[in-house]
Amino acid sequence: MGYTDPSSSRDLLGNRTLFFIFICAFAVVTLLQQILYGRNYLKRGLQFSWQNGEELANWTGTINFTDDGAVKSGSGTGTRYFEFYEGPLEYNSTKCLELRQDIIAVKVLSMVKQTELFDRWKSLQMCKWEMNVTEANLFKSTLSRCCNAPAFLFTTQKNTPLGTKLKYEVDTSGIFHINQEIFKMFPKDMPYHRSQFKKCAVVGNGGILKNSRCGREIDSADFVFRCNLPPISEKYITDVGVKTDVVTVNPSIITERFHKLEKWRKPFYDVLQVYENASVLLPAFYNTRNTDVSIRVKYVLDDFESQQAVYYFHPQYLINVSRYWLGLGVRAKRISTGLILVTAALELCEEVHLFGFWAFPMNPSGIFITHHYYDNVKPRPGFHAMPSEIFNFLHMHSKGILRVHTGTCSCC
Amino acid sequence: MAGLAWKWPRTRLPVGASALGVFVLCWLYVFPVYRLPDEKEIVQGVLLQQGKAWRRNQTALAVFRKLLEECCDPGQLFAMTKQNSPMGKNLWFDGELLYSFTIDNATYSLFPQATPLQLPLKKCSVVGNGGILKKSGCGKQIDQADFVMRCNLPPLSSEYSKDVGSKTQLVTANPSIIQKRFQNLLWSRKAFVDSVKVYNHSYIYMPAFSMKTGTGPSLRVYYTLEDFGAKQTVLFANPNFLRDIGKFWKSKGIHAKRLSTGLFLVSAALGLCEEVTIYGFWPFSVDLHGKFISHHYYDNVLPDSGFHAMPEEFLQLWFLHKSGVLRMQLEQCEDPLI
Repeated sequence: MGYTDPSSSRDLLGNRTLFFIFICAFAVVTLLQQILYGRNYLKRGLQFSWQNGEELANWTGTINFTDDGAVKSGSGTGTRYFEFYEGPLEYNSTKCLELRQDIIAVKVLSMVKQTELFDRWKSLQMCKWEMNVTEANLFKSTLSRCCNAPAFLFTTQKNTPLGTKLKYEVDTSGIFHINQEIFKMFPKDMPYHRSQFKKCAVVGNGGILKNSRCGREIDSADFVFRCNLPPISEKYITDVGVKTDVVTVNPSIITERFHKLEKWRKPFYDVLQVYENASVLLPAFYNTRNTDVSIRVKYVLDDFESQQAVYYFHPQYLINVSRYWLGLGVRAKRISTGLILVTAALELCEEVHLFGFWAFPMNPSGIFITHHYYDNVKPRPGFHAMPSEIFNFLHMHSKGILRVHTGTCSCC
Repeated sequence: MAGLAWKWPRTRLPVGASALGVFVLCWLYVFPVYRLPDEKEIVQGVLLQQGKAWRRNQTALAVFRKLLEECCDPGQLFAMTKQNSPMGKNLWFDGELLYSFTIDNATYSLFPQATPLQLPLKKCSVVGNGGILKKSGCGKQIDQADFVMRCNLPPLSSEYSKDVGSKTQLVTANPSIIQKRFQNLLWSRKAFVDSVKVYNHSYIYMPAFSMKTGTGPSLRVYYTLEDFGAKQTVLFANPNFLRDIGKFWKSKGIHAKRLSTGLFLVSAALGLCEEVTIYGFWPFSVDLHGKFISHHYYDNVLPDSGFHAMPEEFLQLWFLHKSGVLRMQLEQCEDPLI
């Protein structure tokens, strides 16, 4: 019954509404500023530390005491480790022990900020790396108990006799009968045995390899693994080398780039030819879709009378490896090929070096890098848990089980 | 309900129809329509002609050629080329009911610019695979022609070369053979490449656009030969040409689901060549002397019945032989003992 101001409800753009909108706009602008400024602030901080890092990399014996460096070396004591830096520190020096402990102390990836982890990793770079034989042997013995690569990495005539009903890794209901024709494709026995090679290199395809000049060092390894048919043309040779002993091929690449090998086959053969005598390794029994394509690869190489061998991952080995890493905190739909290769390499080689394993959008110094060294195609999200895999590698590096290369190679 | 049925009495139509049916049956019994002569009659007819020398009848040849030219234009439409099938053209498969395929960029690039044959061809031999070729000694005569056409990837090993010759310029390949003998070329392809090596520099003529299931294997033949850098070239049959030829022969009275490859080839040869001689076209189980012979010169696998109408086709070819349009070689070319 009471009288209400008729204009109050009709006043759409009146004083109160305008005022309200103004406040909202102000709030939004402030929020945006906060966000943008915050990020800029972060980046600036990173760039600052990167400049220092660069200096560190150029530090080759002759100590360059520019005014800038002198100021810095005076300013930070205790927190930063690179002042008065004279070549790589000895492995067993207290400082290095401390640095390694810093990384091992990070139990979970989410425990620290990524930048903080990067900083710790970067500081560790000035320490020499040495293999910790006891740690490595311990790790390898657990691996041999869970996975046993020297016997079960590939399907062989020994571990998959004729008539076996092979279970797929993913399609648990799917079963593949090993018939005479498939059986004949398998090698008699595993071509490699435990700790056969002195020094192995596992080359990932991370963008960190770009301009790393690690080619020579990779080629100097006794055995080189590569993932997913990477290009090793003239353009990339200085960064990634050419030597290849095992190259994996993802059937999805064959499906996309080579029409499942149902049309032309020569282009695929030509791509494989680049790796000369490298063995081709395929996850044929990962799921049912992969089988036909993978088996076709063997036919292609036979048809063109190539010397390259074709091997297939044993599905049970893949299951065991992913179960093992799940225990170490790698939660993903599927572990990456790189991780499988590293796991295999740890059993087949004495010393394992990782190149190009870095799955972050920026390198340890904070510079943005491409996803792969040859392109910038991002993977399907939520499929692999790359950061967590890399984090595990960093741990293992600190423990002395394997060595992760993330910087430029000084060799030659 | 009963009242309703009573209201409309039954018509007289069924009685009239059955009476008409009986009458027609009687008529057909008294005056039978065209009936295919059986094997013995055909052999008799052929034997009657045997003594007479065959002479080419240029006027009959010209008339027949003109007919073919009007209906099918073999020179232009024989194979798929960039000229006669531009990109985006809709192709209706001739062996399927209402199934079409639009020529896309990838397929278009597989076609040659124009018909690669040097027209007109002079002397042609069309070699069927009939068992009558066995011990015929016709190999030399077949090889003397300028252009030799063969059907369905026949074996040409040395044991047969005396009877069927060794030269080949064009060989047809049925997608079903690719499927049966080479697993659709999805697995190992070496066996296929090795098996076509006997045809040297020849064209492999594939009806890629006749059946739905044939397109994949046919294109794969192309990819395979290109991958291996083989000497053979793949030509794809033009479904429009095949359909026109089918209609042409249907109007001449061949009632079959589909013409045999042999008749397609002979029709094409009549359009492309000046002189045509055909060998090994004999779909019967006995030869001219009454001896039993195998179905093919290399095996005795009988075809599925009811798909091709071989005897009718033979009669048509025999008619062409009699009128001097083409020459059909049925007896031995030379004594096998010599």
